[in-house]
Amino acid sequence: MAAAPLLELKNLVVAYGGVEAIHGLSLSVAPGEIVTILGANGAGKSTTLMAISGLVRPKAGEIHFKGQRIDVLRSHEVVQLGVTQAPEGRRVFGPMTVEENLKLGAFTRRGQDLEPDLARVYELFPRLLERQKQMAGTLSGGEQQMLAIGRALMARPTLLLLDEPSLGLAPLLVKSIFATIKSINESGVTIILVEQNARAALKLANRGYVLDVGRLALEDRAERLLNNPQVRDAYLGAR
Amino acid sequence: MAHFVEQIIYGLTVGSVYALIALGYTMVYGVMKLINFAHGELFTLGAFVGFFFLVTLDWGGVFGPALAIGLTIVMVSGSTALAGHLLERVAYRPLRHSDRLAAVVSALGASIFLQNVIMVVWGAQYRAYSASLLPQVIWRVAGQSFPLIRLFVFLTAILVMAGLYLFINHTRLGLAIRAAAIDQGAAKLMGVDVRKVIAVVFIIGPALGGLAGLLVGVYYGQINFNMGQLYGLKAFTAAVIGGIGNIPGAMVGGLLLGLLETLGDAYVSGAWKDAIAFVALILILVFRPTGILRERVAEKL
Ligand SMILES: Nc1ncnc2c1ncn2[C@@H]1O[C@H](COP(=O)(O)OP(=O)(O)OP(=O)(O)O)[C@@H](O)[C@H]1O
Ligand SMILES: [Mg+2]
Repeated sequence: MAAAPLLELKNLVVAYGGVEAIHGLSLSVAPGEIVTILGANGAGKSTTLMAISGLVRPKAGEIHFKGQRIDVLRSHEVVQLGVTQAPEGRRVFGPMTVEENLKLGAFTRRGQDLEPDLARVYELFPRLLERQKQMAGTLSGGEQQMLAIGRALMARPTLLLLDEPSLGLAPLLVKSIFATIKSINESGVTIILVEQNARAALKLANRGYVLDVGRLALEDRAERLLNNPQVRDAYLGAR
Repeated sequence: MAHFVEQIIYGLTVGSVYALIALGYTMVYGVMKLINFAHGELFTLGAFVGFFFLVTLDWGGVFGPALAIGLTIVMVSGSTALAGHLLERVAYRPLRHSDRLAAVVSALGASIFLQNVIMVVWGAQYRAYSASLLPQVIWRVAGQSFPLIRLFVFLTAILVMAGLYLFINHTRLGLAIRAAAIDQGAAKLMGVDVRKVIAVVFIIGPALGGLAGLLVGVYYGQINFNMGQLYGLKAFTAAVIGGIGNIPGAMVGGLLLGLLETLGDAYVSGAWKDAIAFVALILILVFRPTGILRERVAEKL
């Protein structure tokens, strides 16, 4: 990694109540990369993303974005700096329309023209255009995932955090979502991709980190992790 | 059934007051998932601040009725908004990371405190608004009578609620309030400053509650330091009927409860008037805890 990192976690410790979920995690993401974070259930992947977004406050350690310390900021300030998230479970605003959800994604861009951004999201996800005026809660799981990603793009992020975007989707849809993630990255957005679907994630990513109950177990280039016997056994299944 | 239309209008008038108060409960609950037990006292405070300007300072005599009422509405909403804001700062904000029970106890404490402050300042006896503030006009149409004051209360409440509805549905801040009520964490991920949203609902809710107190003073002419308990409980019932947290629900719930009560009083028995609200509360909690408008809000998965 030659360039200065876009995002850097230094010895991050996160606890819920008295129970530590992350015990000193360090990782970094360079501009333009897709970095995937893998790990079993409860490994601390979502916690890491929520700490970056400022929804849980780290107990110790630091998070730097574009050289600025962000773990001391409040969540809306992190969004203003250009870090957005499509969270695990999608968490779209069910009783609001698709378009209202998208407008909320651009909440920090007060007074700016959103038409080009809406057009771009509808181009990425034509299904959302058809469902523009429909309540988000009535969308299918796949459509909700498209909405969650589209919504996170509306703020024009520099860094996009995706938490298990393929969860619960049919295989064909997973393929198309991953293709979209790739094209979002090619348009200049750096991405952290948390996935259960390790194989697909590693094929897409430049680098990967493997978490094991709140600790870093492995870190390497994605193609090397794909061929790593340890990773194969634990996360890729026999194939 | 001779005065049926009259009763309907009366029920809607009482109901519109319940609705105004209920909005305060529901907006705060929506964002904080907490019942502001001190809300009834902010309503009472509104009634007494109105008393101060209209009776103690006799603004009616100084400015004439129309201007006096207009100015008093501003003073009442302003001061209850301020009181609500202070309440949030002092009684709730320091506890935002504590468990819910602490916040509930703090709310009850704030309620008792406010009630006592009002009693110390204005006394424990009933206080009377001047009856001559609004001209005693009563229109009669087809055997039904329509007092000016009733229409004034009803229309004021409805206008304010229409304004709130537009604010919630068509402004950036309104969008943030709705989002925070649906999913606070997701709203934060969108860049909504939820702390600010909480501050805003603790300003708007109390302002509406205080205005309701003024309207009750003007309408019934009598106020008392503990009037907020019964009105608070009824308005809370109205909020539950509409689905607590649901803003249009609080409006509908208030109007419905006012109608139920008034028609029950007129056509069943006056002795049942107050009991109707509590029977309604229990029935709703048992059979439809998410309120009568459930279908419209249960979409979120
Ligand atoms: N809000 C919370 N309160 C208490 N503990 C939590 C909370 N959220 C997560 N945890 C705990 O923190 C640990 C890490 O959870 P986290 O959700 O980050 O894991 P994950 O890697 O995202 O798992 P999954 O693959 O199931 O999504 C787990 O032990 C979990 O039980
Ligand atoms: Mg997770």
